[in-house]
Amino acid sequence: MRRSFLGEFEEIVLLVVAACPEEAYGVTIWEDVQQQTGRSITMSAVHATLYRLEEKGFLSSLLGGATAERGGRRKRYFALTDAGVRALQDIQEVRSRLWQAIPPGKFQLIR
Amino acid sequence: MKTTPPRWADRLLETFVAPHLLEDVQGDLHEVFYKQIETDGLFSARREFVWAVLNYLNPFFLKRKPQPNAFPEQSNPTNTSMIRNYFKIAFRNLVRNKTYASINVSGLALGMTCGILIFLLVNYHLHFDNFHPNSDRIYRFVTEQHRETTSYTYSVPNPFGKAFRNDYTFGEKVARVATADDVVLTIKKGREIRKFKEGETVAFAETDFFDIFNFPLLQGNLKTALSEPNTAILTQKMARKFFGDADPINQTFRLDNKIEFKVTGVLKDLPINTDRKTEVYLSYNTLKQYNEWMASDDSWGGIRSSMQCFVRLRPGISPAEVEQVLPAYVKKYRPTNKNVHHYKLQPLDDIHFNARYGGVITKTNLWVLGCIGLFLIFTACVNFINLATAQALKRSKEVGVRKVLGSFRGQLFWQFIAETGLITALAIVLACAVSGLLLPFLNDWFKVQIAINPIANWQLLLFLPLLALVVTFFAGSYPGLILAGFQPVTALKGKISQQNIGGFNTRRMLIVGQFAISQVLIIGMIVITDQMRYSTQSDLGFNKEAVVMLPVATESSVLTMKTLKDQFSQIPGVQTVSVCQAAPASNENVWNTSPKYDNRAEDEAFSVSVKAADDQYVPMFELKMVAGRNLFPADSAKEFLVNETFTKKLGLKSPGEVIGKILSLNDGNTKGAIVGVVGDFHDRSFHDDINAVCIASAPDLYGRYAVKINMATVKSTLAALERTWSAMHPNQVYDYQFLDEQIGNFYETEELMLKLIQSFAAIAIFIGCLGLYGLVSFMAAQKTKEIGIRKVLGSSIGAILWIFVKEFSRLILIAFIVAAPIAYYAMSSWLKNFTFRVDLGVGIFASAIVGTFLIAFITVGFKSIKAALMNPIKALRTE
Repeated sequence: MRRSFLGEFEEIVLLVVAACPEEAYGVTIWEDVQQQTGRSITMSAVHATLYRLEEKGFLSSLLGGATAERGGRRKRYFALTDAGVRALQDIQEVRSRLWQAIPPGKFQLIR
Repeated sequence: MKTTPPRWADRLLETFVAPHLLEDVQGDLHEVFYKQIETDGLFSARREFVWAVLNYLNPFFLKRKPQPNAFPEQSNPTNTSMIRNYFKIAFRNLVRNKTYASINVSGLALGMTCGILIFLLVNYHLHFDNFHPNSDRIYRFVTEQHRETTSYTYSVPNPFGKAFRNDYTFGEKVARVATADDVVLTIKKGREIRKFKEGETVAFAETDFFDIFNFPLLQGNLKTALSEPNTAILTQKMARKFFGDADPINQTFRLDNKIEFKVTGVLKDLPINTDRKTEVYLSYNTLKQYNEWMASDDSWGGIRSSMQCFVRLRPGISPAEVEQVLPAYVKKYRPTNKNVHHYKLQPLDDIHFNARYGGVITKTNLWVLGCIGLFLIFTACVNFINLATAQALKRSKEVGVRKVLGSFRGQLFWQFIAETGLITALAIVLACAVSGLLLPFLNDWFKVQIAINPIANWQLLLFLPLLALVVTFFAGSYPGLILAGFQPVTALKGKISQQNIGGFNTRRMLIVGQFAISQVLIIGMIVITDQMRYSTQSDLGFNKEAVVMLPVATESSVLTMKTLKDQFSQIPGVQTVSVCQAAPASNENVWNTSPKYDNRAEDEAFSVSVKAADDQYVPMFELKMVAGRNLFPADSAKEFLVNETFTKKLGLKSPGEVIGKILSLNDGNTKGAIVGVVGDFHDRSFHDDINAVCIASAPDLYGRYAVKINMATVKSTLAALERTWSAMHPNQVYDYQFLDEQIGNFYETEELMLKLIQSFAAIAIFIGCLGLYGLVSFMAAQKTKEIGIRKVLGSSIGAILWIFVKEFSRLILIAFIVAAPIAYYAMSSWLKNFTFRVDLGVGIFASAIVGTFLIAFITVGFKSIKAALMNPIKALRTE
C-alpha cells in the first residue's frame, strides 16, 4: 500500500484520538483539539479530517448504540488502527532522530 | 420557549450532507447546541449552530459514498429504480445482439429520415404567404376562358383592375402588377457598364400592392416611392447585386436599354415563403413607356399572362358577391368575342396550391407525399415488430424470472416500451443527423429553400418528439404484449416456441403489407421511367437533335436579324440557321387565336397556334410536307403553312383542299393564302394534344434563332456564336439552350417525381429486406434442429432451401396480389395527365414481381444457404 502522509492538522486529530481516555467521538475530539491547540476550529473541519483519516485507514469507526440524548442519533466512535499507530510512531521516530541530529551549539544559537 | 436548533438549518444539513455521514454529524452538532444553550444562552447557541451548519456546505460532505453494493436499488428503492433497470437491460440487450440492434436502428432511422424530410417539405409548402395582414380577405382575379375547351389563366385583361377599382366599392385596395420577364437591366458605373439579365424579378406595380402585401420598405417613403414615373424600389439583395455597398437611393439603371429608372426606396428582402418573386418594382405609370398596349385602358381584347391583379376586399364582402357583378365587363367590352371570359376571385391561400392557376404544388401531391412518408415509417415499424417478436423467444427466461419475482404484466409491457423507446431515440438522433445532411439535396431537387431553424420551426420541435412517441408505441406495443403474456412456468422451462408467441400470422401479414408497399412503389417507378423514356425519346414529328436556340435581342430590326443569320451561317460548324418565334415544340411565346378560314362567315370555334418562322424552319426541323410547298422567303405574313390537325378540325377530307385558300387571323389584320400542309408534330409536351398550327413569316413575332450545328465541334461553334451575337448586341445578355434540353424541361415535374419515387422505392425495399433478413436469420436459428434431422434422414440441400424460399415467395406473391390493383389504379390516373402515354402492360407488372423476387432472394439466399450447408452433427448436438 502506498503510504499516505499525514498533514499537521491530521496528526493533531490523530494524536487527540489516541490520547483520549474514554471512547472518542466527534464532540469530544473537537473540544480536545481546541483545548490542546488553543485554536478556534470549526466542527466541520474536525469531522472532515476524521472521515478522511478513516478513508486513509488510520482510524476505524463504529456507530454506538442509540440513546435518548441528541434526538436519538447514534454517536460514531473513533479508534486508532494499527496503521494509525504505526504512522504516529513513524513520525515520532523521524522527529526524535532529527532532534538528536541537531548539533548542540546550534540550538543555543537559534534560541 | 423553543429549545431546538433552527429547523431550516437542520434541513439544509439533511439535504447537503451525504446520508452515510449525516447521522453522527447531526448528532454531534445537536449535542454541542444543547451544551451551548447551558453556557452561552439560546440565542448564541442558535447562531453558532447555523454557522457550524454553513461550514458543512462543501464538496467533501456533499459527495455521496460510492456504492459498494451491486444492487443498491434493493437496499434503497426509489421510484426510478425499475425504470433505470429497464434501460440497463435494454442497453445490455442491444450490445449483446449487435446485428439485430443495428438492423432495427438503421431501419427505423431510414424510415424516420424520410418522415422528417417529408414533414419539412410539407410544412414548408403549407406556410406560404401567411404573413400578410388580413390575408383571408386578399384575392387574385383570375380568368376562365371558355372556347371549345376551357383554359385557365391567373391573369385578367390589362384595364380590368382599374375598371374594377373605379366601378365598385368592394375592394379596399386593388393593385395591378405587370411583370416584365427576361429583361436586361444596365447600370452605368463610371465608364463601366454592367448588365444583368432578370428572368422574373422585375415588375411594374401600383403602390397599393404594398398595402395589400406585407413587404416593408427599409428606406424611402412608401406613399411617394412609386408615385412618380421612372422610379423604382428594390430589395436589399438586388441593391447589393446592382450597386455593391453604395447607397442605392437615387442611383439609376436602365430597363432594356431604353427606359431610365431612379431608385427611391429599398425593400426588406423577401421572405422565403412567398410566391411573389418580384424583387425590382417599377412605378406603374411607367408601363406605357415599356408596353403601350398593356398600359392602355382599352386593351380588353386579350390577356397577357404577365398582368396580375390583386384585391383586398372590404370586411364582410363575400367573393361570390363580387363574382356576380363581373360578367358585366364581358358584356360591355367583349360582346362578340368567341373566347368567353369568366372572371373569378382566387383566395390568397389557394394560389400556392392551385395547379390550374400556376400553383407550385397541389394539396393532393402534398397528401400523397405525406402518405408515402407515413408508409415508410410504417414499414420501418413493421420491421421492428417482426424482429422484436422473433427476438422475444430468447427473452422468455428473463420474462419468466421477472414474473416469478412478482412483475405484473403491465410492468413487463412498460419494460419493453422503454426498450423500444431507447432504440427509437437512437434512431431519431441518427435520422436527424442524416436529414440535416440530406437537406441541401432536397432543396436542390424541389427548388425550395428549407432551412432548419429551431426557433422559427417550432412545428419541427413538436413533430420530432411526437414521431418518437408514436413510433415507440406503434412498434413496441405488439411485441410488448406478446412478451408480457408469457406463462411464467412454460417460459422458465424454455418450452415457449414459435407457436406460443402466436402472431406468426400477424407477422406474415405485416411482411405482406411491407412488400405490398414496396411493390406499388416499384411499379410506379417502372411506369414513370417508361413514360419518361417515351416522352423524350419517341419521334416528335420533327428533328430536335443538335439545335441550339439563341434569343433574338429586343428591338432587332428585320435587317439585324438577316445580318446575324448570315453571320451565323458563315461560322464553320453551323449547318443551317432559322429565325423563328419558338421551336416546333415549345411552351414559350405561344400565340393562340381564332382563325377565319376561306370565305366562311364566322371565326372558327377552335383556336390555332401561330408559329412565326422563316423559310428555313421546315427543312431544318425536318417537318414533313404533306401537300403544297414550303414558304418563300418573306418579311411579312403573306402566306401560311398549316398542319394536318388544322385541316381535320376544319372538317376537310383531304389536306390538299386547303391549298390556295385564304386564312385570316386577328380580325383580318393578318391575312394570306395557305400554300402548304405539314405533317403533325408535337407542338407541346406529351401532356397536351396536338393543336391546330399555322406557320407564317412574321418578323415582329420572332424570338429565337434556331441554329443547327455540327456536333463534332460543339465547343468552338458555341464560342463563335456567342462572339458574333455579342458583337451585334453589346448591350444585351447572351444565353443559349439546346433544344432537346428545352424539351426535357417540359417534364421537370415528372423527372422530380421519378427521382422521388426511385428513392422511396429503394428505401422501402431496403427496409423490407432488412426485415426479411432478420426474419430468415431467426427462422434459420429456430430450425437448426429440424434441418439437422432432415439432413440426417437424407434431405438434399435444394429441398432445405425450398423451406425458406417457399416461405418468403408465398408472402411476396400475396403482397403482389394486393399491390397490383392499387398500383394499376394509381398509375393509370397518373398517366391521364398525358395525352400521349404508354400502356400499362403486363410486362410492367411482371418485371416488378421478378425484380422483387430477385432482391428478396439475394437477401435471404446467403443466410438460408448457410443454414442448409451446416453440418447436421453440429446442429443436433446443440442442446
